[in-house]
Amino acid sequence: MRTITITPLKAFEISVEAEIISPDKFAPLSLSQIRSLSIWQGNRKRKLSDLFRAEGDDGPAKVEDVTITLQGDFSRAKRIAEGMTAGKVEAEGGVGMHAGNNMKGGLLSVQKDAEDWLGREMRGGKITVRGNAGNYLGAGYRGEKCGMRGGEIEVGGNAGAYLGEHLCGGSIRVHGDAGDFPGAANQGGTIFIGGSTYLPGAEMTKGTITVRGRARVLPSYQKMEIMSIEGEDFQKYVGDLVEKGTGELFVRVGSS
Amino acid sequence: MIIKGGIVYDPANGIFGEEMDLCVDEGRMAEDGKGEVIDARGLLVMPGGVDAHSHIAGTKVNTGRIMRPDDARLGIEPRSGVCRPCTGYTVPNCYAIGYRYARMGYTTAFEAATPIIEARHTHEELEEIPILDKGALTLFGTNWEVMECVRDKDIGKLAAYVAWGLRSARGYGVKIVNPGGGEAWGFGSNVKGPNDPVPNFDVTGAEIICGLAQANEMLRLPHSIHLHFNNLGKPGNYTTALETLELLKDIKPSRMRQVVHVAHMQFSAYGGTSWRDFESKAPVIADYFNSHNHATMDLGQLLFGSATTMTADAPLEYGNARLTHNKWSNHDIELEESSGVVPMVYFRKMLVNAVQWAIGLELALLTRDPWKVLMTTDHPNGSPFINYPEVITLLMSKPKRDAEMATLHEQLPKRTSLGGIERELDWTEIAIMTRAAPARILGLEDKGHFGPGADADISIYDLRPEEVDPSRDHALVKKALAAAKYTIKSGIVVSQKGQILAAPPGRTLR
Amino acid sequence: MIVEDAICSFCGCLCDDINVEVEEGKIKRVRHACRLGSSKILGHERIKAPMIRRGGELCMVSYQEAYDRAAEILLRAQKPLLYGWASTVCEAQKKGILLAEEVGGVLDSTATVCHGPSVIGIEEKGLPGATLGQVKNRADTIVFWGCNPAEAHPRHSLRYSSNVCGRFTPEGRAGRKIVVVDVRETRTSKNADKTVIIQPGTDYEVISALRMLVAGKGDVVPDEVGGVPKAELDGLAKTLLAARFGAVFFGLGITHSRGRYKNIDNALSLVTELNSHTKFVIMPMRGHYNVGGIGQVLAWSSGFPMSVDFTRNAPYFNPGETAACDLLAKADTDAALIIAADAASNFPRAAVEALAKIPVIQIDPYENPTTLISEVVIPSAIAGVEAEGTAYRMDGMALRMRKLVDTSYPSDEEILSHILESVHRLQRGLER
Repeated sequence: MRTITITPLKAFEISVEAEIISPDKFAPLSLSQIRSLSIWQGNRKRKLSDLFRAEGDDGPAKVEDVTITLQGDFSRAKRIAEGMTAGKVEAEGGVGMHAGNNMKGGLLSVQKDAEDWLGREMRGGKITVRGNAGNYLGAGYRGEKCGMRGGEIEVGGNAGAYLGEHLCGGSIRVHGDAGDFPGAANQGGTIFIGGSTYLPGAEMTKGTITVRGRARVLPSYQKMEIMSIEGEDFQKYVGDLVEKGTGELFVRVGSS
Repeated sequence: MIIKGGIVYDPANGIFGEEMDLCVDEGRMAEDGKGEVIDARGLLVMPGGVDAHSHIAGTKVNTGRIMRPDDARLGIEPRSGVCRPCTGYTVPNCYAIGYRYARMGYTTAFEAATPIIEARHTHEELEEIPILDKGALTLFGTNWEVMECVRDKDIGKLAAYVAWGLRSARGYGVKIVNPGGGEAWGFGSNVKGPNDPVPNFDVTGAEIICGLAQANEMLRLPHSIHLHFNNLGKPGNYTTALETLELLKDIKPSRMRQVVHVAHMQFSAYGGTSWRDFESKAPVIADYFNSHNHATMDLGQLLFGSATTMTADAPLEYGNARLTHNKWSNHDIELEESSGVVPMVYFRKMLVNAVQWAIGLELALLTRDPWKVLMTTDHPNGSPFINYPEVITLLMSKPKRDAEMATLHEQLPKRTSLGGIERELDWTEIAIMTRAAPARILGLEDKGHFGPGADADISIYDLRPEEVDPSRDHALVKKALAAAKYTIKSGIVVSQKGQILAAPPGRTLR
Repeated sequence: MIVEDAICSFCGCLCDDINVEVEEGKIKRVRHACRLGSSKILGHERIKAPMIRRGGELCMVSYQEAYDRAAEILLRAQKPLLYGWASTVCEAQKKGILLAEEVGGVLDSTATVCHGPSVIGIEEKGLPGATLGQVKNRADTIVFWGCNPAEAHPRHSLRYSSNVCGRFTPEGRAGRKIVVVDVRETRTSKNADKTVIIQPGTDYEVISALRMLVAGKGDVVPDEVGGVPKAELDGLAKTLLAARFGAVFFGLGITHSRGRYKNIDNALSLVTELNSHTKFVIMPMRGHYNVGGIGQVLAWSSGFPMSVDFTRNAPYFNPGETAACDLLAKADTDAALIIAADAASNFPRAAVEALAKIPVIQIDPYENPTTLISEVVIPSAIAGVEAEGTAYRMDGMALRMRKLVDTSYPSDEEILSHILESVHRLQRGLER
């Protein structure tokens, strides 16, 4: 095992694009090589060591044996763990936008909040967030047909709007509330929302959305039977019929 | 400038792979040259490439960009040196268009469809495309004034209107797309063929085509009419193609050239009655071109992968959108035209796409005279132009075609004759289909050849024609064609080994 | 002297039939324009000279001093924002994009606070549209959804839509069916045959219901959607289906209510599906006269139509992250150049407060609330009145704006060229 701890030297006035903070990038490098990796802050190309302290085990190591610990506030550091295939990234605080972009394997865990686009276009691996997640959790890029295609995301708190937009696979579990339009254009992924939400599954063609709290349901969903899931009654709907969808939406009875 | 010792292919001047020096003076080919010496000993040297049919500027191209940020992010190249930043794969930004053509040794490209009323937009983009000389064809095929002149059988007035339209739109030639169809699409329908009456106008597509061809010859325009058939993209449409070509065979050209240039023939060489029994009719089409001399074509070759379909054939695009359930932009243009844009992916495993792929190659290989066939992909309809090296190597190598066919749908050999075609094009034929013929077909006297006074647009490839066998070494050839060792535009080295060294503005030809 | 057929530089209608009376180099009278347009063309009190803020006060300086100071601010910034671009011509926009590339900034337009959601919707579904003349000549059914052209685009109905006669619409208004969908009665709905009042924020649901009704799947639709009885929605669906050529115009009432770009996304699908039955087109009612132009110029230059981040030398686009208000909300920009737009009046309050904390360069003919928070103020010629150039109408039609009167003010294009020169000079100095 190889553990590397990254700590911001100070608060970032302008956000940092930190796609190099990932087990795949760090694994083959020595600590001093890691410190001299370049990293963008606005229009300035800097060295990692200009912005962060990097300490821990010297390398190289296999990707799956690398753990990166993020100490302090990373909420203005974007694209952490982008494209990671294995290993672990453990954030003791929050993380900035696009963390776990296009992630393919491994574990990203966040103790506080994650900003927008967490797990965008994710393909595999696991992301856990203790706090809240922003908008577009597990969604796609503008104009693309597919968002997240595989893997697992779990959020302890609330999630913002458009979670799982264009979801093509994988599962997202949010224990709190979700903002507007979760699972829009879902094409086969699974979403669970512990709290309430608004207009789930717009243009969903396949997949499942389960809402344990309240939900405003679109007029283009067909109301089906009441089903029992883990001892609780859920109203089942099928849709979104505007897209001839066969997605399943479950909303707990008595909560809406 | 002197280019020394290259193996020169200049078929327009009867030079078929001769070792010789080329001289450049003040941006033009000359008898003598001085100054910079470029060592091209043993290397393949051809005139700069000329693309006679591409979609590079104007409303529908920009609509493609606006609706496809997913495509824009695929082709990101940061600004560096003389280059502004580039984006896009099937719908590249203006800078990428200029640099990427130039890297491949191309120096001229024509935008294939511009409505008169939106020509200002087209020219704004053409001006922004670096390096290349450019031109734009102007749309006339479903225009109210045109249809009224045709209905009144007043070819003189039609010619006057065409002349006005070309001058107003700074257009180069007459483009006709799905004649009459745009008007029908104004109320959501289409014409079923060249003999179907156009709603509200008492004319047929056939009359529009013949009228415009006559007007075109009355005006002695450098280019012939440039025609996108009715029923394009539909199974069984080869009969429409043949029927339409027959209409034009007795018209006398006013210059030494064809009477009609057929755009992206591949999309109109379809047999079958539906997508289920869809098959190639390329052999029938090629036979027609072999036995007639009034028509030329460009391929509109399709390659597997991403494309963005865009055309003034708006009802076709609505069909594409419903078929693929993809996003759809439409743009009706008052008094003149309509157009549409739909992203597309062509799949190796889909039989229809495999047959389409084969048809383009068959057309190029079965048509005996390379002066009648231009290599294009109808960028970005069949594939982005960046993939020209793939098309050229497929035409030059039977083993490459066989290897590719082996990966495709098992039914393919029953739907196309491609597997049985032994022909492999040589460098002379490639130089004709990508340089000399497009220049001659467009009527560009200073392009596509190395005669004295011609534009000094030169491409030099890191390939030794006397050593390399394109049939066997197709991978090597493809790599060399993708990044010319030197691309020279008007006597300036604009690209070297894929790196852009200079980005002068090109001219707009009209 | 009378300048005939001038183009109005107020809204996205770009009316091109304006007569302007010029006497001794001044505009005396404007004919044919609407009230909004003529007051724009007539103009009002101008900023007199370039200014730089010193000790809290704006002090007059030379143009060169202002250019140099602007260049210095932009070059010092790690993430400068170059915002506005809607009320100027394409020539200036092109220079602005080059400047954004040179200084490594983020370029965004006023679309971000008006039809930005429409653009995102179009990225999802495409835009089945037409030129306005096509609507004039063919449309027998017109829907105004969440827009009020009678007040915001006063001549739209007379020139392009409800009331104009065309080849296949010889009866004008009498031969057309006009429908308004909005959250309240408006001046536009007074001219309508049918007004459907929906509850605020229910556009998405109402459109979904209409898609169901158009597809013949009305049995699933509940008895009431968005406060509208199903029978009324069914009537609306039948009206749409009965059109020979239908056109939907939409405005901020749908782009900026709950659902935002999803509303547009859904409306685009509705229109696409209507084309399986009849002919339908849809288009946004663009506000500023050349907000369409910046979208076009940016798209062909950078590949993206708005909110383009050039900080890493390659264009990056992601509204929600790279739009002006996003950057300001996260205090993720450290200088701003505001041109041909009044950010301080149009941005949300928090964004204006963030803007007030960073150095702002303003390029504008007029003093406005943005002036109050600017460190450098550079007065410009009024594009489309005192400077010529190209502009794109709301339907994407490019038109050439003429210069109507002379001025001593430099044009936006000239100002930006000078700033670029100063930037290059400073960069050379830094390299040394």
